[in-house]
Amino acid sequence: MLTTARPRLSRKPSVPRDPDRQAANVIFAQSARRAIRSGLLWGAIFGLYVYASAAGYAASYPSLAARRRLATSFGANAGLAALLGPARRLETVAGFTAWRTMGVLTIVGGIWGLLLATRMLRGEEDAGRWELMLSGQTTRRRAASQAIAGMGAGLIVLWSVTALATIAAGSNSKVSFPVSGSLYLATSLMAGASLALALGLLAGQLAASRRQANGVGAATLGLAFLLRMAADSSSSLAWLRWASPLGWPEQLRPFTGSSPLAWLPIALLVLGLTGGAILIAGRRDLGASALPSRDSPPARTFLLTGPAGLTARLGAGVALGWTVGLAALGLMLGLVAQSASTAISGSAAIEKALGRLGGHRGGAAAYLGVAFLIAATLVSFAAAGQIAATRSEEAHGYVDHLLVQPVSRSRWLLARLAFGAALVVGTSVIAGLFAWIGAASQNSGVGLGQLLPAGLNVAPPAVFVLGIGALAFGAAPRLAPTIAYGLVAWSFLVEFLASVIRSNHLLIDTSIFSHIAPAPAANPNWAATAWLVGLGVAATVAGITVFDRRDLASA
Amino acid sequence: MALAIRTEALTKRFGKTVALDSLTLEVPVGEVIGYLGPNGAGKTTTIRLLLGLIRASAGRAEIFGVDAQARPVEAHRRLAYVPGEANLWPSLSGTETLHLLARVHGSVDVAYRDTLIDRFDFDPGKKVRAYSKGNRQKLLLIAGLMTRADLLLLDEPTSGLDPLMEQAFRQCVGDARQRGQTVFLSSHILSEVEALCDRVAILRAGSLIEVGSLAEMRHLSALSIDAEFDTTPPDLSRVPGVTAVRVEGNRVRCQVAGSVEPLLTVLAAAGVHHLLSREPSLEELFLAHYGATPPVEEAVGAP
Repeated sequence: MLTTARPRLSRKPSVPRDPDRQAANVIFAQSARRAIRSGLLWGAIFGLYVYASAAGYAASYPSLAARRRLATSFGANAGLAALLGPARRLETVAGFTAWRTMGVLTIVGGIWGLLLATRMLRGEEDAGRWELMLSGQTTRRRAASQAIAGMGAGLIVLWSVTALATIAAGSNSKVSFPVSGSLYLATSLMAGASLALALGLLAGQLAASRRQANGVGAATLGLAFLLRMAADSSSSLAWLRWASPLGWPEQLRPFTGSSPLAWLPIALLVLGLTGGAILIAGRRDLGASALPSRDSPPARTFLLTGPAGLTARLGAGVALGWTVGLAALGLMLGLVAQSASTAISGSAAIEKALGRLGGHRGGAAAYLGVAFLIAATLVSFAAAGQIAATRSEEAHGYVDHLLVQPVSRSRWLLARLAFGAALVVGTSVIAGLFAWIGAASQNSGVGLGQLLPAGLNVAPPAVFVLGIGALAFGAAPRLAPTIAYGLVAWSFLVEFLASVIRSNHLLIDTSIFSHIAPAPAANPNWAATAWLVGLGVAATVAGITVFDRRDLASA
Repeated sequence: MALAIRTEALTKRFGKTVALDSLTLEVPVGEVIGYLGPNGAGKTTTIRLLLGLIRASAGRAEIFGVDAQARPVEAHRRLAYVPGEANLWPSLSGTETLHLLARVHGSVDVAYRDTLIDRFDFDPGKKVRAYSKGNRQKLLLIAGLMTRADLLLLDEPTSGLDPLMEQAFRQCVGDARQRGQTVFLSSHILSEVEALCDRVAILRAGSLIEVGSLAEMRHLSALSIDAEFDTTPPDLSRVPGVTAVRVEGNRVRCQVAGSVEPLLTVLAAAGVHHLLSREPSLEELFLAHYGATPPVEEAVGAP
């Protein structure tokens, strides 16, 4: 049988002609795959936001008179201008959409770009995977360039999805953006993301860890944002806008006198930062950094006395983040409340929403009553996050070190839940307090006596989430984060649907947010909230009991 | 006789898998006992049952007479545990971790902690996320040993340590023995257990197959011999103490228990030019002594 002895050569994998290129392509492909996935997701969010802004404006303010009222009221609000940038031609759909989307998505895109850049370079290096990549036939410089090219692919996808959604929104006869204008808006919306991405690349090369790179990048972005806020808060400081890279995207002026020349400094800075990052990546040792590593800090032991102190210590960063976030949200809602309520007086859609929620007060209180649903959702997400963190302590096996000591399971779990409850109540009150500061600065006539209870009013659904989460953690630990997050997401979805279409009462009742009054538009319904808290506590007790009887389950 | 650990028909099932099958074991106070078994034999399951981290399907476990499953907090007052998996809070530093665990445990010998830090040549100033696996293991060892607890439950505590640190660890177990502490050392390294333990319990596939002093287990202390000859090797199968003989061309592999003198005599006479002897792995021993089926290689290697 000599004829069969010869193996079939064609099945053998072909030897690459240029192994260097092959290795680099693998890096590009890996980086691109993850960046594109992220670009698709965030492109969808960008697109939805643009679509909702344009279509929502067109539907809520159908008449020119209503639009003029909105333009006068919002255009005169200095607090809003500082936050979102100068308002131009708000009496048009295009002007309003450009103002709102540029103001919000430049920041969101900035955070996206920074996190993506540090994750894909410094994060991979921290995890030790970058070393594996470099052990292939490639140079550090080429590998970094390829990874960055992959992120570029992600950015292009983000742009594509955003552009499609903008064109789709523009094709609506009530909106009617020209296609070229839509493309220019979508492109302008990428300015913040591009700048922050490039900043993240350089920060990742200078810092000693991804965490530090994020810190450096966020601090730089924050400074640029503060400068831009100062520039936009008064016309005499408008020149400052050129001093802050985050002021440049404003100069692009989509739909309101486009000036593409402002792309010049943006492009130059992006290229400069990226080039610098590639240069450093090629020259430095793996794992080395220009900034000193903060892995050897002085010991801070004052909280490390037991489960409660440890929980506070581990959760401090997240708690600070939520506190700042809800303070900022409260402040923003307070700032816009007066203008918004002037603008919406007569808007049938908003009055209908308020009526559905059971509010009876008018003016700024009415607006805040509806807007506080956002605060309620965020506080509940913070609660779900605490359940996820609790599960992660168990999944990683960290909690074993406490539970093999004279520490009971219930003591540990109670400590974690108590921290979660404190976080929920604290952030709720903070949201109310800062809403009052914002509202008072605009003479909105909504007092602290109304807004503090309104803040506290958003805590009970979150306490309920903590309780259900604790029960899930006891009974089905691996599913607990999904259940807690799912409950919040479902409730938000139901509220959102109910605001758009007429829905069934039974369906609406499944939302945890439907059981609280829309304070400050109405007085908090303390009896209903007591039920939420009571059920949450009962679920917690059940959860602790079940947890005490089950096996610890690692990931 | 006071008992540090007592289990009675202790059983753990995960679904249909029996991870630990009716374990009955008594460990008197002050004893250093080795708990041997290949990976997956049920060593960690036993320790997690003794700690109350998982719930027994049947049977009973006691630590110093306290029901370890029903009253874990009380049982934990007198023990310290060192896991083999070095998972610690990444954001805490070594110093902070030691402080936390000391505070939670209640009492710590501070002077001994500092001795341990020196002995293991450990830098406690870094964050856990910056430590190598070996360093994290050292941190766990220091945290467990510094408590001077009456019972030390050690679950493969030397995984990831270099030989020098292994020496330091043995010294620590020696300290513990002198102070009258009870040590339960789970391991899959025979030499470690041999060097440290008064008594050995052997676990295989969830069942306890042998418990006894090392003297009683002499039959386990065999040597693996690998010899190369210029010509065809001699027949070793009749040499006293020699088992598991395998011939591959001019090469012979076998195991020898007891004195090696008879084997050496035969080898020298036959003109051996290369000789390698090593301690057999636990798996090899288990196959040789308890294996139901012969290793696959033997069947293939046979001429």
